[in-house]
Formats: sequence, C-alpha cells, structure tokens
Amino acid sequence: MSSTKPKKTEATLQDQLSELDKLLAWFDQPDLDLDEALQKFDEGVKLTEAIKHRLATFENKVAILRKRFDQDSA
Amino acid sequence: MELPTFKVSELIAVINQTLEYAYPSVMVEGEVASFKVSKGKYVFFDLKDDDGVIGCFLMVYQLRHPLEDGMKVRLLAQPRLTSWGKFSLTVREVLPMGEGSIKRSFDLLKAKLDKEGLFDPLRKRTLPQVPHHIGLIASVESAGYADFLKILDSRWGGVQVEVADVQVQGVGAAEQIIRAIDHFNQQADVPQVLVIVRGGGSAEDLAVFNDEGLVRAIAASRVPTLVGVGHEVDTSLADLAADMRAATPSNAAQLLVPDRGALIAELTQREHRLFERIDRRLEVMRHLVDDTPQIMVARFDAAVVEHKRRLNHAIRELKHLDPKVVLRRGYALVRHDNNLVKGAAKGIKIGDGLTITLARAILKAEVTHVEHKTEED
Repeated sequence: MSSTKPKKTEATLQDQLSELDKLLAWFDQPDLDLDEALQKFDEGVKLTEAIKHRLATFENKVAILRKRFDQDSA
Repeated sequence: MELPTFKVSELIAVINQTLEYAYPSVMVEGEVASFKVSKGKYVFFDLKDDDGVIGCFLMVYQLRHPLEDGMKVRLLAQPRLTSWGKFSLTVREVLPMGEGSIKRSFDLLKAKLDKEGLFDPLRKRTLPQVPHHIGLIASVESAGYADFLKILDSRWGGVQVEVADVQVQGVGAAEQIIRAIDHFNQQADVPQVLVIVRGGGSAEDLAVFNDEGLVRAIAASRVPTLVGVGHEVDTSLADLAADMRAATPSNAAQLLVPDRGALIAELTQREHRLFERIDRRLEVMRHLVDDTPQIMVARFDAAVVEHKRRLNHAIRELKHLDPKVVLRRGYALVRHDNNLVKGAAKGIKIGDGLTITLARAILKAEVTHVEHKTEED
C-alpha cells in the first residue's frame, strides 16, 4: 500500500460527510420538487449507509520500523 | 621469575585495560555525597554505602536527573584508574532510586524546566482532529503498546501507524526514545503526531520519563506530541512537556481519534432527519391527493354552470337566425320552381311564376318586370 492511501481515504470520508450535510441542507428549502426530493433522499440514504460501512470496516495499518534505537547509528 | 617493570603511566594503562576487560561497564547502587559541579562542565560526587566510598565523574550534559547529596541512585559506569592514581567511576548514566530521591530529583528538574518555560500552556499545539499518519514510540512487548493499539483499532481506522520499538525503562531507555523522536522528526514523510506510551510501573521504571534530555526532546519536537505514561495518578515531566497529556496509553488512543461508534450513531440520526424530511414532503402530497375528489366535484360543477351559460347564449343567438322570426319582421322568401330566389335573381324572366312566403301567408305571383341593380344600390 502506498503511504498516501490513508490520506486519500480520509479526504473521501470527509467529502462524503460534507456531501451528506449538503443534502440535508437542501431539504430545508421551501417548495421542493417531489421527484428531486425523492432522488436526493435516495442519494442521502445510500451515502449514510456507505459512510457507516466504511467506518465499521476500515482498519489501521501498523508497521514496526526496522531501525534499531538501542545504539547511536547517527 | 623476574617481574615486569612498568613505568607509572604504563601501569595505569595496563590496569585500565584489565579493568575494561573484566568490567566494561558496571551497574552500581549507592548514596550521593559531596556532589559538586566544576566550571559548569564537570560533575563530581562520591557514591557510598555504610562500608565504602567510590569517587564518580561525569560531564554535565550526561546528568539527566538532578542530584543532591543524600539521594539514592543507580548508575551505569566504567571503573578506571585516573592518571593521578585515584580509582573512580566514569558515569554514563545515572538514575535516582527510591521514592524520596525520585521525588526530589523530579521536583528539582521540574522547577528548572518550568522556569525555562518548557511547560508553558502557550507552547502547546493542538493535535490534528483525525490523524491519518502517526509515529508511535513504545516497546512492542509492553502492555501499554497493546492497550493503545486495541483502543485505536476499536475506535477508528485508516491510520498509518509507524512504530519505533524502544526500551521504555531502565538505563539507556531515555536515549532510545530521544533517538526515536529525532528519527520521526527527520524523516521525509513526517507523521502528524508523535505518540509516546508506556504502561504502569514503579516510580523507578517511570523515572525514564523524567529524564532531562527526553523532556527537552519532547518539548523541541517539530511534530506535535502526545504522551501517555503510567496510570492516572502518575505525572512525569514528559507528560508536562508534551502538547497533550494522556492519563494512560488507552486514554492516548481515546484522545487521538474519534469514536466510530459515536459517529455511526450520529449518522443514523442524520439518516432519520432525511426520512423526516422526505416524509414531510410526502405528507404535503398526500393531502393534495386526499383533497382531489372534492376539488374535482367543484370543478365539474363550475364547468356545468359554464356550459349552461354558453348553451343559453347560443340558443338566444340561434333564435335571431330563425327565418320565421325574420319573416315576422316583414321580410319574405321568394321561390321559383321550389328554389329560393336570391340576390341577383339569376335566370328569372318576365312571365315566370313565383311563390312568395310571408309570415302568415303564401302568395303566387308572376314576374312582370326584371331590373338588375348594381352592387352599390
């Protein structure tokens, strides 16, 4: 795995969360078009499920450095 | 057998070689006496017990825990004979021992570093909200390491954890932790946080975290630091110098990352809000649908009234067009051979018979004169 992968995942998670906030805010406007509302609702539910799934399953990556610190190697 | 003859300096050198061979380094415990610092560079003291005294020497920078006469210490040293024939210990590292000495040394160093501003709250940096790359300094064999990772894994994911496996107690431990801090600070892809953890232990075990060099290294770290050492009750100078202090290794993980369980619960809340909103919208539509029959009846009624009105109007209009009505006004219909004679009376000649219908009579007549008119007449 490249070291930039977690950064990317994190950004996407944040993106997803703000996307969800935007969707919720959309529902606050008056006179919603019903078809659009149903579509946004569908998107919102899918998005929350995706985020929940990601949160429940993503794992930490632990790497123990091979460098030894018990002697001065500098 | 003839004994070898040495020059004095040669003998000292030979004895030192022998000592070095037999005792490359020794660990000695005792009480400090006659402690003094010379020219701000050299530290001299005697190490003693009830039955013996040995002179000790070290450089000021090697003295990582303040010493005072009467303190109990354990030191790592190399025995040697000085060029003026005095036996002494060249000290590599010295750790205070026993609760009283540890406490005294802690207080002295704390006061000194506090005065320098190392523990100033204004120096503290905030840790990133959700780090994705951390440097972990711990002993991979320790319970503290396992606790930290266990809580980290249960709370959050997607974190790249680079672990510097170091000794976290005893002689040499502070130096190893300092090297690990330096290593993380110097690497190209620096972690966002340095986490130093160690589980509970005796005051002597935890004394490593009161090492002056280590405390300074934590304070100087370019990467923000989070230190979780010992139990809730333990406070080390490393804790005080860190940007954030955790009570235990588990607590360090709690402070470092959010709880995915809580976030999932919050997401469920948001999902409920979505459901509420779509429900509200659908409710409006439902009302509209429920009211439709009534609206339709009303519209139908209105349409019937409108059609009646238009029908009456049409009837009135038609009445005006009824020939009988026209005849009653004095006009007549003229026919020739059952054909209506219109306009120019085309084909009508003198002598033709005509039938003239009036409102209330029919006359038979004969044409006696034909005169055609122009359009303007």
